[in-house]
Amino acid sequence: MIWTVFAITVGVVLLILFEWPKMKQNQKKEKAAFVTLTAMGWLLAILLVFFPDMPGPTQMIEKLFKPLGKLIE
Amino acid sequence: MIEKGKISAFQMGVMMYPGILATAILTVPSITATYAKQDLWIAPIWACPIGLLIVLVFLQLHKHFPGKNIIQYSENILGRLIGKTLGIYYLFFFLHNSGFVIREYAEFIITSVLPKTPIVLVIVGMTLVSAFAVKGGVEVIARSALVFLPLFMFPLLLMGLMVLPEMEPRNMLPVMGNGIKPSLKGAFFPIEWYGDFIYMSFLLPFLKDEKGGKWGMISVMAITLTMVITNLTTIFVFGGSTTELLYPVMNVFRYISLADFFEHVESIVIAVWITGMFVKFSLIYYALVLGVAQWLNVSDYKSFVLPIGFLQVIFSIWVAPNFQQMGQFFTTAGSFYFPSIQIILPLFLLFVALIKKKYKDKSPKSSIVQ
Repeated sequence: MIWTVFAITVGVVLLILFEWPKMKQNQKKEKAAFVTLTAMGWLLAILLVFFPDMPGPTQMIEKLFKPLGKLIE
Repeated sequence: MIEKGKISAFQMGVMMYPGILATAILTVPSITATYAKQDLWIAPIWACPIGLLIVLVFLQLHKHFPGKNIIQYSENILGRLIGKTLGIYYLFFFLHNSGFVIREYAEFIITSVLPKTPIVLVIVGMTLVSAFAVKGGVEVIARSALVFLPLFMFPLLLMGLMVLPEMEPRNMLPVMGNGIKPSLKGAFFPIEWYGDFIYMSFLLPFLKDEKGGKWGMISVMAITLTMVITNLTTIFVFGGSTTELLYPVMNVFRYISLADFFEHVESIVIAVWITGMFVKFSLIYYALVLGVAQWLNVSDYKSFVLPIGFLQVIFSIWVAPNFQQMGQFFTTAGSFYFPSIQIILPLFLLFVALIKKKYKDKSPKSSIVQ
């Protein structure tokens, strides 16, 4: 498990090293969005490693649409 | 404008063809068959008008807001706050949908050719390849679609011919034996896939010519025709046992055997299938990345490609614990979730836009303000 976390972190670091130098100095908004997206991804990945059964977006949608889904069964 | 590339309407039609069929041929026949039974082949015909409707809606929206896609004009139509909220809902949907698409692809590859490979590897491989295509822009995806289309269509066209000795046309009888209802119920699932024409909204602004409508319609017709032919072949070969198969169309290819010499065609078909999947996934990936950049009002989308790809990989694992549950989702909640976002919301947007326009034309004051 610790190795998976390590592998994910290495992947994220490589991703940042690959993209960061390409962004220009004045692209403040891009940089902020890039950091947010990457951090979100990293956090989600780590969470999923420790809690693989975490309820996901599909379960949320399923709850919302279940009454309708029964109509065609 | 973020994207400087231009594509032709023909290229758009070519992109949409594998853009729908790549996963539709894999997953749809078996879940349609659970409801439609031997009327499996009629279901796409019922779904076809809905596909045409979606194309028409997006064409109309494109006419009212030329050069803009759904993320941008939802802001024009509903105002800044609601428009932005709808925009992020759409972006979430694209992320969710791309998770489904790449998971379907990966499950297919794992079960048919690489049973011992960890699924993450297949997913990451495809995402990386698509990431480079998306970085190249819309032209790169369009041209790769153009190159791959003949490869992709070839097995579908030849399929019926090659399994001719195995066919039993009586399997399709009785046509509509239980009335019209089973095939109508079965039509829900092709409709889910026709909804992917929403990605056309991201391609229409880049067209060089005004033939977008024509090629969009031709694409819908071609997709319907292909689905009808493949479903008919499946029914002819497998009959009632189609429901028990995970990938009925691929199993048909497994039946091909000419002169005890021409066998194992499915390995070629799977290899070719990856190209179609690549086009489909790149298209969704591109729409998502472009949408995020436009939603944030930034000038360059290239730096978002890899972080979003990373998110897509996570979502593809998160969407469902296994393939069975994913199929379960498509047959229950999904059959309302996908159409509500891909068909009803755009229709609503068009409706509001038309009312707004009428109101604007009537009151001269607002036209002066403009």
